[in-house]
Amino acid sequence: MPDPAGDPRGDQPAITITNLVKRYGSLLAVDDVSFSIQEGEIFGIIGPNGAGKTTTVECISGLRTPESGSISVYGLSPQHDRDKIRAFVGVQLQESSLPPRLRVGEALELFASFYPTPLDPQEVLESLGIKRIERVAFKNLSGGQKQRLSIALALVGNPRIAILDELTTGLDPEARRDTWALIERMRERGVTVILVTHFMDEAETLCDRVALINRGALAVLDTPEAIAAQAGVNRVRFTPSQPVDDETLNAVPGVQVIERKGRYVTVMGTGDLAASLLNALSEKGVHVAELEARSGNLDDAFIKLTKDATPRVSEEVHA
Amino acid sequence: MTPNLSRALGRRSRAQIVALLKVQAKLSLREPYALGVGVGLPTVLLVVFGFISKAVPGNVGSTGLNVIDLYIPVIMVISFIGIAISLPSTLVRDREIGWLRRVSTTPVHPAQLLGAQLVINLVFAAVAIVVAMVGGSVIFGAPLSVDIPFFILSVVLAIAEIFSLGLVVVALVRTQSAAGVVGGVLFFGLLFLSGLWVQPDQVTGPLQYILLYSPSGSAVRALLYSVFGEAPPVTILVAVIGYTLVFAFVAVRYFRWE
Repeated sequence: MPDPAGDPRGDQPAITITNLVKRYGSLLAVDDVSFSIQEGEIFGIIGPNGAGKTTTVECISGLRTPESGSISVYGLSPQHDRDKIRAFVGVQLQESSLPPRLRVGEALELFASFYPTPLDPQEVLESLGIKRIERVAFKNLSGGQKQRLSIALALVGNPRIAILDELTTGLDPEARRDTWALIERMRERGVTVILVTHFMDEAETLCDRVALINRGALAVLDTPEAIAAQAGVNRVRFTPSQPVDDETLNAVPGVQVIERKGRYVTVMGTGDLAASLLNALSEKGVHVAELEARSGNLDDAFIKLTKDATPRVSEEVHA
Repeated sequence: MTPNLSRALGRRSRAQIVALLKVQAKLSLREPYALGVGVGLPTVLLVVFGFISKAVPGNVGSTGLNVIDLYIPVIMVISFIGIAISLPSTLVRDREIGWLRRVSTTPVHPAQLLGAQLVINLVFAAVAIVVAMVGGSVIFGAPLSVDIPFFILSVVLAIAEIFSLGLVVVALVRTQSAAGVVGGVLFFGLLFLSGLWVQPDQVTGPLQYILLYSPSGSAVRALLYSVFGEAPPVTILVAVIGYTLVFAFVAVRYFRWE
């Protein structure tokens, strides 16, 4: 396991996962995953569909029981001390609805009553910008409003740890930005946040550290910047004057991934990519237009790190 | 645990219970299946059989009872059936959409949600009992002479039996649409067996036996004896208790929260 680099706020790990294994029948969903999450940290879990992200966080919240390995949440076991853990862990589930006629304000009041030291539901409504839909029934909410309510329900219990699964999936860009601002506010309040996402920009913007899970195993764990740098990926996009085949491009030193979209060809790889490419192409008599080169981000690193891996199942498993 | 802490926890669990009851009551009024079939339908049936009883007074099947006398227990059991059949329509949905799973991530167990819903449903059943008993005797003149201990026993057993059957459907059926189909078939089956269309005293042979000892029929019989001041026969009570145990066992054995 790499050093827990980055910006760990507390020295105290809030959550420690050791050699976690979870199977669904013959499918190995999580295969020997270990990492720890510091108190106050915003910790991202990224990976392709079916990589085992949801399964991992569901083991942390006690919704699933691991096959083997151990999980400690402030020294408690999510499986044996589930009652204690539920009092201070707020969970937002990927697929979960409310009774259609339950109203926003009622749901929040109800959840507040469940917890020992809840936040004021009215304040939560206001901070999430859903005060004006307080009296609207769940079935009449838009996708973005449902998502905000779901976050509100995860927060109203005033949790020390919030587990947010696919937080902004289905939201429009503006609602996504608003949601990100909410997470930043949770950071200011010292809440430890586990963010499961498949949006790399989200992980890059919000997370102190990111764990990339691929085919049930931990591929890399570091700050988003370090992962991008560690992958050492550069990206060059251009329009060739005539078609170039993959063979030609693969022959260029450093080329790792080739993507084509419309008239654009995008090449990712290491080293002085742009110069090597231009040389190789001009030798073949190909001219290059609309050239754009930049160093890699988390998105590129993700593609590189998961490139050879075909997920064994196409969707997250819900047993 | 210090006295202060345990007092605080007591307050908290009371607050939880109050909040759960409030929400379940509101939802039950906004989705009034249980209210409609559990209180509305019995009220309509009371009026219908009350007027039939006035139009055609006298002995049904040489029982010495008027139509309304025979139908007061039937109407009460139909209320219990209506409420029990409404349980799957909400609970199976709440499980299917992930609401029960969502609640299970909080300090409250979804069983408490179910408990709150059962309490609201018991209130509906109590209202229907009052409507049938008071309406039947005061408005339509049924000469009730209630044996209080046996009446309470019969009501408790009848509700336990029929509600458990509703929970069996919740336990065994996975989807809302299947719950609708199973619930509908069960509803009319139980209505028939309760004697709504044919009273056991009007038939002979195996059908009479089935009507008397079926789940809803035996509940009706137990109530019928106890509202006319008699102890229900042991065979009837054994039947009701037996059904209750079997249904409760199956419901608990196969129940899933997610």
